[in-house]
Amino acid sequence: MNTVPSALLLILVPLLPLLLVFPALRSRFSRPCYIALLPALILLAVPQAVSIDLPWLLMGSGLGIDDGAGRLLLAMSVLLWAVAASLLHSVNGKPVDDRLTSCFLLTLAGNLGAILATDLVGFFTFSSLMGYGFYALLIAGGGAETRRAARVYLVCLIVADLALFEALLIAAATARDLDFEAVRQAMAQSASPGLYLSMVLAGFALKAGIWPLHFWLPLAFRSFPPAVALLLGAVPVAIALLGFVRWLPLGEVRLPALGLIIQAMGAAAMFYAILAAAKRAQPIRLPACAAIFASGLFTTFLGVGLGDPVAWNRHGNVAYFLIVFLGSGVAVLVIITGWRRARGHYPTMSGKPVDDSPPWFERWSGALTRWAAQVGGLSRLCAAWRAKVGGLRQIRAWQRALHGSERFLQRWAYAITLFLLLGIVVVFAGASSWI
Amino acid sequence: MSWDSALPLFVLASSLLPGLVIFFLPEERVAIRTTLNLAGAVLKLALVGVMIWGVFHGSHYETRLPLLPGLDLLLRADSLSMLFVVLSSVLWLVTTVYAVGYLEGSPNRSRFFGFFSLCVTATIGVALAGNLVTFLLFYELLTLATYPLIVHRGTDEARRAGRTYLIYTIAGGALLLIGTAWLYTLSGTLAFTARGFLSGLDESHNGVLVVIFVLLIAGLGVKAALIPLHGWLPQAMVAAAPVSALLHAVAVVKAGAFGIVRVVYDVYGLQFSASLGVTLPLAIVAAVTIIYGSMRALFQDDLKRRLAFSTVSQVAYIVLGITIVGPLAAVGGLVHLVHQGVMKITLFFCAGNLAETLGIHNVSEMNGVGRRMPWTMVAFTVAAFGMIGTPPLAGFVSKWYLGLGALDGGQGWVIFVLAGSSLLNAAYFLPILYAAWFKAPPDAWLAERSFGGRETAWALLAPPLVTAFLTLALGLLASAPFSPLQWARFITRLEYTP
Repeated sequence: MNTVPSALLLILVPLLPLLLVFPALRSRFSRPCYIALLPALILLAVPQAVSIDLPWLLMGSGLGIDDGAGRLLLAMSVLLWAVAASLLHSVNGKPVDDRLTSCFLLTLAGNLGAILATDLVGFFTFSSLMGYGFYALLIAGGGAETRRAARVYLVCLIVADLALFEALLIAAATARDLDFEAVRQAMAQSASPGLYLSMVLAGFALKAGIWPLHFWLPLAFRSFPPAVALLLGAVPVAIALLGFVRWLPLGEVRLPALGLIIQAMGAAAMFYAILAAAKRAQPIRLPACAAIFASGLFTTFLGVGLGDPVAWNRHGNVAYFLIVFLGSGVAVLVIITGWRRARGHYPTMSGKPVDDSPPWFERWSGALTRWAAQVGGLSRLCAAWRAKVGGLRQIRAWQRALHGSERFLQRWAYAITLFLLLGIVVVFAGASSWI
Repeated sequence: MSWDSALPLFVLASSLLPGLVIFFLPEERVAIRTTLNLAGAVLKLALVGVMIWGVFHGSHYETRLPLLPGLDLLLRADSLSMLFVVLSSVLWLVTTVYAVGYLEGSPNRSRFFGFFSLCVTATIGVALAGNLVTFLLFYELLTLATYPLIVHRGTDEARRAGRTYLIYTIAGGALLLIGTAWLYTLSGTLAFTARGFLSGLDESHNGVLVVIFVLLIAGLGVKAALIPLHGWLPQAMVAAAPVSALLHAVAVVKAGAFGIVRVVYDVYGLQFSASLGVTLPLAIVAAVTIIYGSMRALFQDDLKRRLAFSTVSQVAYIVLGITIVGPLAAVGGLVHLVHQGVMKITLFFCAGNLAETLGIHNVSEMNGVGRRMPWTMVAFTVAAFGMIGTPPLAGFVSKWYLGLGALDGGQGWVIFVLAGSSLLNAAYFLPILYAAWFKAPPDAWLAERSFGGRETAWALLAPPLVTAFLTLALGLLASAPFSPLQWARFITRLEYTP
């Protein structure tokens, strides 16, 4: 049922946190993070499904919430954000500052907007906003190690957004409308959906940190403060998994081979997570292993859905429960580990880590250069130093080449212009007499 | 002379007359000079508002003055010209406010604002030109009016940059003149016509038409900064920030890009250009320019120089859009004419604010500047993300239509160019934002000026905030009536509907 107040409420859910991002606008409120959640909370109390078309927004967009899965996701998000807001007042022992609150609200707006988006462009926009906001949140709330993790996350985010942008273009060229249902059907009827599927799978796998594209996830859980770590499952990971469900033509296409590959990857991810958890006995790292395991489980389920549309149509809703389980489960683990750390059950993050070296399977599945350094008997420091110097040399060589080409082009531009002028006057004179 | 035939002249005069009066004003008459500047800009905007409403509803505004036998000075408002006229008029008003604040207390302001007004007059003339000869006249006037602005500071570096600019643009203008004259001898007309006026010529002229096309594009490509004709633009960044804004967003670079659109659409016609085989090479030049400009930007520590190379890259999107033959890509190219202007002017305003308030000129000096100048850096952040093509900002809409157009036209390689460019844009803009927002500020800034508790003067702060808001609004409200996107669709419909 759509009424004007419900429609306004839908718009306010992402808009209010966005407005409160500006310190000047929130200066009158003592707890702006809670106030930003109010429209979402009220929306949850509206008993019916609500939606609104916004044809003037972007390329024509919309927001909405259904009775089932969407509402469940929104409820989980509101709960987690409220808990995170309560932890926000003390990040790394420091009092919360304006920048951190702004980043928090920016990420919140993107997160809630992505849940409510009813079309690809809206989802892409809000998830990008959430991604960049989350990056800023990581940077604003942490130290040197956090920044390293955030940098890796940013690279993954940019590459993922590029892949998803390509997928969006393909979808727009194929479907007459960009709402989720229309795209699903258009892709199901498309003769070559392969590129679209690859881009969506790669994009969201990078964003969710699904194995083997999980580069940033273990780093993130190792170093982030509780308010941020609590959101890791619910914000980047859960929204990316939601992206899979919303963007892929699940239940419409039958792709057994692709489904099998994805199932195998999901199983491998779960195996990896179990091994990692067993090797790294530190409970502090359990949330990361749990996130990789749960996303592996989700990937396996996704593979089943791509291979068997009938099974997906029958049990597809389980995907939403998996997302909610992942988001809330990771948050619970973070809270427990945080509480145990506070009670002194194991060393704090500022202390020396018990076992900071990666396990053997991570080394082997890691970068080839690191592996070569180990086998060749060179110290890791030496390899890293060489890589760095090599990188710098490469950059300098590039710079030199570009500077050289720039100077050459400038000289050439003068010469060619004068030459053209001269030549053309001659040609023009000849042509005029000929005409 | 009726209202409809006088209106284009009035639009020109609204900046020309204040400019001429300002030339003769003594330096100390600040209030009169500022009033004249702002009154002219506001009046122009009002007249343009009337004009755009009329054009949308089918009115014809045309001024015809005899120039040479068989050739008139023709000013005409059509849908394409209005896109450029509106852009220039809006940004001129904002830049005037900024320039008033920026040049407060500096010498030779009457000279500066006189040429400034003349420069905008020439730009409006370029936009309203109804034939190639009128276009050429205003195009050359633009060169001459901009040169004194580039050398305004009088330093050796400024004079050197001015000299380079003059050599490039006069050579380009000469090529354009030769092409125009040659074309006239072939066709007997130079009036811009929807879908071109050359397709009816005998096929035996096709070879010559290709040569003329190369001449015209080379002439226009100098101002549009297509490689290898872009060398003047990074050097011209030594000019004051309002001049840079004018060069990169309002006038010069845009005049070149707009000229290329005119030649392809209204002289040759898109379909005829494609049949001559000249669009694909031009698209390749544009693609190379996009990547090359971004790569050069990556290695610049000087902020304005980095932005200058970014312009080289971004303006080529416009050319790329119109050379991918198809309505969607054309929409992308045309709308980027406006979007790039709004985003780039924001970045130059912010760069000017940093230089004027804290003495910051290099990226390496920007650590923690977001804490000292938060609003300036908010504007910079919005524009930088717009340049990267992040939704929902203006740059995203441009890239969206360019990408769709490439797929529609069967030129998938363009998608990779767009992706590569986005990646490079992120690589040279995000480190700036990281340094500004998340690195610790220095103990003392290089040359800090106090503005009584505010981060900078209002006249310097308001313009980038307005244009940053426009960057957001143009993307977010892209589908609203009278948005640049809708206007670009309107133009494209006229071009593609027989």
